[in-house]
Amino acid sequence: MSMEKECNVKHTEYSDSFYGEYEPFLHNAGAFIIQKIEELLIKKQVQNIHKPIEHYKMRVKSEESMKEKLARKELPITVSAALQQIHDAVGVRIVCPFVDDVYEVVKMLKEQPEISIINEKDYIRVPKENGYRSYHLIIKVSATYLDEQKDIFMEIQLRTIAMDCWASLEHQLKYKHNIKHQELLVKELKRCADEMASTDLNLQTIRDLIEDSN
Amino acid sequence: MRLLLAEDEVELSNALVAILEHSNYEVDTAFDGEEALKKCLSKSYDGIILDIMMPKKDGIEVLQGLRNQKITTPILMLSAKAEVSDRIHGLDMGADDYLTKPFAMGELLARVRAMKRRNEEFTAEKQVCGNVTLARSQFEMTSEIASFRLSKQEFLLMELFMSNPGCSIPVSQIMERVWKEEEEPDQELVWVYVSYLQKKLQAMEASIVINGNQDLGYQMEVFV
Repeated sequence: MSMEKECNVKHTEYSDSFYGEYEPFLHNAGAFIIQKIEELLIKKQVQNIHKPIEHYKMRVKSEESMKEKLARKELPITVSAALQQIHDAVGVRIVCPFVDDVYEVVKMLKEQPEISIINEKDYIRVPKENGYRSYHLIIKVSATYLDEQKDIFMEIQLRTIAMDCWASLEHQLKYKHNIKHQELLVKELKRCADEMASTDLNLQTIRDLIEDSN
Repeated sequence: MRLLLAEDEVELSNALVAILEHSNYEVDTAFDGEEALKKCLSKSYDGIILDIMMPKKDGIEVLQGLRNQKITTPILMLSAKAEVSDRIHGLDMGADDYLTKPFAMGELLARVRAMKRRNEEFTAEKQVCGNVTLARSQFEMTSEIASFRLSKQEFLLMELFMSNPGCSIPVSQIMERVWKEEEEPDQELVWVYVSYLQKKLQAMEASIVINGNQDLGYQMEVFV
């Protein structure tokens, strides 16, 4: 899987990086969550229950996008602002087959004593105006590197395969300028989101019906 | 197509039932206004034929009771010639058509057919029950927190429930209305599609719920 490369702690000189001495802590914080996810998957495999996670990704926000975000929010372009006032320097995205799986993984994450929940937003229950659906968690973990510990904020996004597919297209639309018939396409995208959400729930219903009949 | 005939003259009622059944309608009867209202509130009909002069409750009161309960089933009023003001009142209160007694059977049948067409063609763009809005042109079901795009069958089923709040609808009637274009559809489809709608109503925190089963039929209830 491509993300394996992304999760490996880079053994380079960190002082060159925008995040400086924090960089390894950021990677280790991400690795910690991934370890928790893997543990859950192994537990499910042992119990022979279906996998609640289709795939996941971890990334540390690039220097360029972090600086852009700080500027957009009119914050100082410093490591301290990047790590204290912006909470997604480390991001994990968890993509699940079914809607109920999203809530199961959220529950699992909340049960971890090492994870403090700072904020959560359920855009599956109440979708954004444009049709965006996902579950967002802002968490804080204590990351270790060379016997030292630092508190790291991170954002975890959880969604179904259909929501993920929709979000990646919407993302493209957001960053493209001068799109022809933009208004129409935005409306169509919203319609697709509502259709996919409907289908997501139908798939969940069929799965429930199958499980109930066993 | 299932009709309710509310007519207190037993002989006329029997004759009408025979002719309507001969034309392949399923017909229930009521012989006074109270019985008519009770039946319409507990069962879903595709059309109602309502005599104005009836004991216990007259046709106008029954009509008012139904429209107050947001039951939009097409209603054909039957009236004697002298009751012109009643006819005007009835139409204003939400009746769809009227027929003056005595009438020719051919005309009654034509008006019943017209009533059926109206049911299919002239339904409001938006239907509202509790906190749920169903938009016809979009097949869209919305609450204050979320919206879902429904498939055609889901939409037709939801529309049937919303037009008949509180009424128990037998599976056979649902099949006839929602899967009329399909050859030999499986009756269990109703169970699956009701499950789809239940899941969505729950997700959008709807103040309405669909209950029931394949044997007894299904009904939509609105929480107060």
